[in-house]
Amino acid sequence: MSQGVSRIANSTGAWITASFIVMLVIVQAILYVKHAYKTAEKINMKKEVCNKALRVGMITSIGPVIAIFIIMVGLMAVIGGPMAWMRLSIIGAAPTELTAAQVGAEAAGVEFGGPDYDLYALSVSWWTMAINGVGWPLLVGLFASRLEILREKISGNDITWLGILTGAATLGVFGYLTSGDIVKGGGNLISVVVGAIVMVALGFAIDKYERLKVLKEYSLGIAMLFGVIIAMIYNL
Amino acid sequence: MDKREFDAIWKGPVNRIGVSTLLLAVVLSFIPILYLYFVHGVIPDLNTALKAWGMIASMFGAMYIVEPISYFSTLGLSGTYMSFLSGNIGNCRLPAAAMALEVTETEPGTKEAEIVSTLGIAGSIIINIIGTTLCAFVGVAVINVLPELVVEGLKNYTAPAIFGAMFGQFAIKYPKLAVFGIGIPVLIRLIFPAAPAYYIIIPSVFGTIIIARLFYNKEKKATSE
Repeated sequence: MSQGVSRIANSTGAWITASFIVMLVIVQAILYVKHAYKTAEKINMKKEVCNKALRVGMITSIGPVIAIFIIMVGLMAVIGGPMAWMRLSIIGAAPTELTAAQVGAEAAGVEFGGPDYDLYALSVSWWTMAINGVGWPLLVGLFASRLEILREKISGNDITWLGILTGAATLGVFGYLTSGDIVKGGGNLISVVVGAIVMVALGFAIDKYERLKVLKEYSLGIAMLFGVIIAMIYNL
Repeated sequence: MDKREFDAIWKGPVNRIGVSTLLLAVVLSFIPILYLYFVHGVIPDLNTALKAWGMIASMFGAMYIVEPISYFSTLGLSGTYMSFLSGNIGNCRLPAAAMALEVTETEPGTKEAEIVSTLGIAGSIIINIIGTTLCAFVGVAVINVLPELVVEGLKNYTAPAIFGAMFGQFAIKYPKLAVFGIGIPVLIRLIFPAAPAYYIIIPSVFGTIIIARLFYNKEKKATSE
């Protein structure tokens, strides 16, 4: 990015325009938290359970958010701070956003980040990230309620089956997510395997020894750390 | 309170909040483009805009549909609305929801589970926004003091380690299903290395669900006999 383009991509105006959607994400989360607490009270759920759920969600995310932090620094360098902040606060992971920014430059007929990457090319990159990013919220906003009706039909009122269905879907999702790293081998495979082993071992240990129970809400973070460290040692 | 009464008080607002925030997000996504136009006088011409849209949609368009459908059973209704606004589903939202259920010892599929997973996901979103906002301010400075090795390690291996850990946690609960959950996508990738993501995700998720149903039917039959 040339200096002139970079200055606009990092201007105060750009920060302000990016902030709207970040605020919307916060507002949505707050609205759901309020609704959850209110409903919990009506069905006589303990408030402590709700507090715990909220806290576990926070603790569990610290590890992955550190990784997002690092990835975002890289993204800031190529698409500017405001866009990196906005795009990584909403749907579309860093590789997706980079691809969109690149496709935008390509459509504008210049090399992404090269000397010809002018303000016009920047506008096409921003457009491409935006039009791609709205695909998910648009379809979910329009059709999620119908998915829920569909799920009810499939599950009937069988709670046992609904539990198994959720478990099976989750295994399919994480099977899919891990499969790329498994096939890739090396450090990627090692981090998957170590993460899985540590998580399972912790689960057994916590079930067996009552005093380890405090570790439960940190178990994902611990498994993640082991996975990352052992993969790093393998790479030395 | 039975499930039907619960649905009446829970789902209405969940849908209202979800639909309004997601559609508003669609509109707000374009503000930076308007900013470039009104303040700096540049905007993509129609041809370029359509060309870029076509190119990017051909890469990701299928995922707009496939991902919500595939993740829905795991995320639930409110979780879907939150996750498809804030993203980071595999590495943040799903683990947050699953761990919230695990730690509070809530049975999946119940009405309590809906509330617990909603709060878990909301908690993860708050941390996520704090993280990206902090990064916007001090990111570069922090990265400069960290050793390269640590930066690379965290960047490359955090996601696979989390994915592996989550898979492990569910594999213990459903060991038979785990074989299929991991076997299907790995086989597809080995046989068709160039297969696009949706050819892998759909068979993994729905293949595992169908196999779960077959096992479930068999067990039900065995216990009723």
